[in-house]
Amino acid sequence: MLKLENVSKVYRTTEVETLALNEISMSAGPGEFVAVMGPSGCGKSTLLNVLGLLDTPTGGSYSFFGEEVSGRSEAQLTAFRRDRIGFVFQSFNLIDDLTVAENVEVALLYRKVPAADRRRRVAEALERVGIGHRARHRPQQLSGGQQQRVAVARALVSDPSLILADEPTGNLDTTNGEAVMTLLTDAAAAGVTVIMVTHSLAHAAVAQRTVKLLDGRVVSETLLAA
Amino acid sequence: MFRNYLAAALRNLSRNRLYAGLTIAGLAIGFAAALLIGLYVRDELTYDRFIPGYERTYRITQTIQLETNKAIHTSLTPMMLVDPLRLDFPEIAAAARISPAYFPPSVRRGDIVVAEQNFVWADPDLFKVLPLPLLAGQHAGALDAPDSLVLTQSAARKYFGKDSPVGGVLLVDGRPMRVTAVLRDFPSNSDIPGELFGSSRAPRSTVSEFQAINSSGNNTLATFIRLRPNASVATMLPRLPEFIRQRLPQPPGVGAMRRSLQILPLTEVHLHPELQGAFNAKPPIDPGIVMAIGAAGVLIVLVAGINFVTLMTARAARRALEVGVRKAAGATRSALIVQFMGEALLYVLLGGVLAVALAELALPAFNLLLQRKIVLDYVGDPALAAVLLGVFLATALLAGAYPAFVLSGFRPAATLKGGLISAGGGARLRAILVVAQFAVLIGLVIVAITIARQTLFALNEGMRVDKDQVVLMASQPCIEPLRDEAAKLPGVRSAACASATGLSLSDNNDSMVFAGRTVAMNTQGVDFTYFDVFSVKPLYGRLFDRKRAADGPSADNTAAQPLVINEAAARRLGFASPAQAVGKTIQWHGLWDESLRQPSMVLQPRRGSQIIGVVPDFTLGSVRQPIAPTVFAVGRNLPPDSVGLIAKLDGRRTPETLAALDGLWKRLGGGRPMLRVFLDQFTMRLYIDTIVQGATIAAAAIVALSIAALGLFALSAYTTERRTKEIGVRKAMGASTSDILKLLLWEFSKPVLVANLFAWPAAWLIMDWWLKGFAYRVGLAPWTFLAASAGAVAIALATVFVHALKVARARPVAALRYE
Repeated sequence: MLKLENVSKVYRTTEVETLALNEISMSAGPGEFVAVMGPSGCGKSTLLNVLGLLDTPTGGSYSFFGEEVSGRSEAQLTAFRRDRIGFVFQSFNLIDDLTVAENVEVALLYRKVPAADRRRRVAEALERVGIGHRARHRPQQLSGGQQQRVAVARALVSDPSLILADEPTGNLDTTNGEAVMTLLTDAAAAGVTVIMVTHSLAHAAVAQRTVKLLDGRVVSETLLAA
Repeated sequence: MFRNYLAAALRNLSRNRLYAGLTIAGLAIGFAAALLIGLYVRDELTYDRFIPGYERTYRITQTIQLETNKAIHTSLTPMMLVDPLRLDFPEIAAAARISPAYFPPSVRRGDIVVAEQNFVWADPDLFKVLPLPLLAGQHAGALDAPDSLVLTQSAARKYFGKDSPVGGVLLVDGRPMRVTAVLRDFPSNSDIPGELFGSSRAPRSTVSEFQAINSSGNNTLATFIRLRPNASVATMLPRLPEFIRQRLPQPPGVGAMRRSLQILPLTEVHLHPELQGAFNAKPPIDPGIVMAIGAAGVLIVLVAGINFVTLMTARAARRALEVGVRKAAGATRSALIVQFMGEALLYVLLGGVLAVALAELALPAFNLLLQRKIVLDYVGDPALAAVLLGVFLATALLAGAYPAFVLSGFRPAATLKGGLISAGGGARLRAILVVAQFAVLIGLVIVAITIARQTLFALNEGMRVDKDQVVLMASQPCIEPLRDEAAKLPGVRSAACASATGLSLSDNNDSMVFAGRTVAMNTQGVDFTYFDVFSVKPLYGRLFDRKRAADGPSADNTAAQPLVINEAAARRLGFASPAQAVGKTIQWHGLWDESLRQPSMVLQPRRGSQIIGVVPDFTLGSVRQPIAPTVFAVGRNLPPDSVGLIAKLDGRRTPETLAALDGLWKRLGGGRPMLRVFLDQFTMRLYIDTIVQGATIAAAAIVALSIAALGLFALSAYTTERRTKEIGVRKAMGASTSDILKLLLWEFSKPVLVANLFAWPAAWLIMDWWLKGFAYRVGLAPWTFLAASAGAVAIALATVFVHALKVARARPVAALRYE
């Protein structure tokens, strides 16, 4: 169970102070699929970064599966991330110099999974996203949709409790977008909490709940499906 | 268009000050070091070209094969050689000899008294053969009078305080000699020995004194010849064997001897280190070593060039947008190539100008280290200026070409979209270049360490003798009261008079007969206490004992006297062990006794001498040659015939003991100037060239190291920057700071480790060849290879650590937002 209470995030530069998140409270349970929507600059990505422990809130409390994370050291946050979270980015963020399989393997590398086990799980994950035949290719040799499927495979391979997807379909055509959405829905159905930032109403409709942000605040929550 | 290019280049340079600075600094350091090395190599390869007509001037050298011994190459010749040469070879326009003064004479003018080490005796015809440039007086007749003396400018200033003391008088060992001419100082790359040239006609010149022993067996001086214009050595060579047969008859006493003469161009004498007894101003050097040092210079330029390529291509992606815009605006690829090559030239020229300034700053220290007078005159030396410009242009062309092709090859669509600008092949090339850089670096370090190890070995264990705390006091002769009183001084353990052979300053061979076999062996006249001074203990038998009258020589030098031999001699005589040798009698001619001035034609007949002891092999000479089989006997008249006093100190109150020795010399030295050195300093002269080589290579290694470190620093900055996204992803996936740090450090260690694969075999081959020039040498130690590699890895890691740590500690969100 994720629980944010009055979480704020302020970015300070020498000249400007930007309030990216303004006392946000929300929660998400196991197997829940939450979509986050809102115009550019409303704080969607910041929210995702805070949820994903890539960034720390300036104020408020964040309970990550029952553990309060504010005030934790970078090493502890790293450990949480390693054990519980999978990421899918809009720009895929695959490592150019690694093959498809090696990119997926990165998610297991830091979990001390034995090599044979790693290979098996990577192969399974790639099969699951339908890209097993491209395992030895480099990211540059794949289409955008294929690259994003690799990114989803990377997020799934570690059996995370939480998948955070930042506009996973933003760079994809409809067909590929839908394929990725199916993968995420399947993950949620399997008990993984999925939180996805999206601009697409159609894709948001797939989620069980939509959180709308404006200027760093939650302006509405809509329960779409039971 | 050119202005636009220049503006882009200069702005790019100033925007990336750090990278541009590192790139230019790397080039400047590399060029400066290579320039100094180049000047040194040129200096070594252009000896004695300042002498007018050097192309026609030669020095006679010999190869002598004595029975079972190895062939000896020597640049010393018999003094009787010069006249028959002139008679038999019409090709020769003039011939003259320079004879060493065996021992520094005391040269005095008023209060100035010097034990002059640069005094030589020269034939009146010297300046017909070697028309050395004059400052005052004239060549003709300058050395005709027996009391005439020619000085170099430095010597004139030393004794007279002025440049042209023609007519002035110096007392040479108490006898007046008159200055007839002053020569310009020789450049540092001259092999002409001497700064004071006394006429060989002087009654006490070594030429006159040795007239009595003027035989073909006594090789004592240097013979120079000058050919007539249009004459050629080629016509002389076929006649040399017959000349030797007729004019250089077999000397008695040395057994069967084969001899050949060589006519060596004056300019090449310096490049023949195999010549023994080299009576040269400078220690000769192996041309291979000169080439190796030159190669180090080329390698440094290579390292600097590699650095340049690495940094330029690493930064290439940064220029991608500019390339896209220019191409979209219609720039052709070749136009862009011209632009980027021009930029490379700008960098290289900036580096070059800085390099010349650096080299000029470093030159005085460089000259001091190498004892040279090298000048860097790029204005008055068109050849040098041309070479410099050529090297700069070639570097710009070679090192600029690849980055120019990479940059100009970017596709505008990709670069303008800000999409993927991957230089995959570029990365591989960079890795190869870094490997090459570190291979050079590791190789140079191994070479430098090995040279240092061998030099230390040669100066210490290699000689197999304890010369620590042994003082040599020049004293010809070393008189008995001096020796006996020195031995009684507190702090002196033992003192002995030493002959020239005993100090390995010259050698004598005798053919001896044992068990029906004739063998040539080295003979050394020593004092009773000679072995004590060097703490040499017999392996078997005993040493000489002053209390036993029979151990010493008889007054007429005819009686059999006992011998001590070294292990090599025992082996040469065929004994299986030292014990077997002791008590045996060998037939020999007795010690060469200089005090008798006996002509070597009138050798004593062979007589039997009993071996009383065998000592371990040791030498005071160079370990380049194997220790010769040597027979020691107590020298007759050793004190009057010796060249110095040697004393072993106990090392407890050295300054007081030295002061006491000096006091003794004042009292007993007959007013002559004192020349006192520790023997280990004295032996260092044997390895000056090795020390210079080691220092040069070590300096080259340090330069290569700093360039490589500069490059790696910039490259790591670039790489870590380029990999920010990847590192963000890895951190998002749970990699810790130490995981990332390990990843980056390992990545930078890899090329250094791969470099070993190339550096190790190359260094092994080179040093194996180099060490073979020493009869006694250190082995190639695996630890030197490991240490050089470990050092390179450590430096690589230290260089990249800052960047790696910075990026490893960055918050992943910052890294991911980077895109």
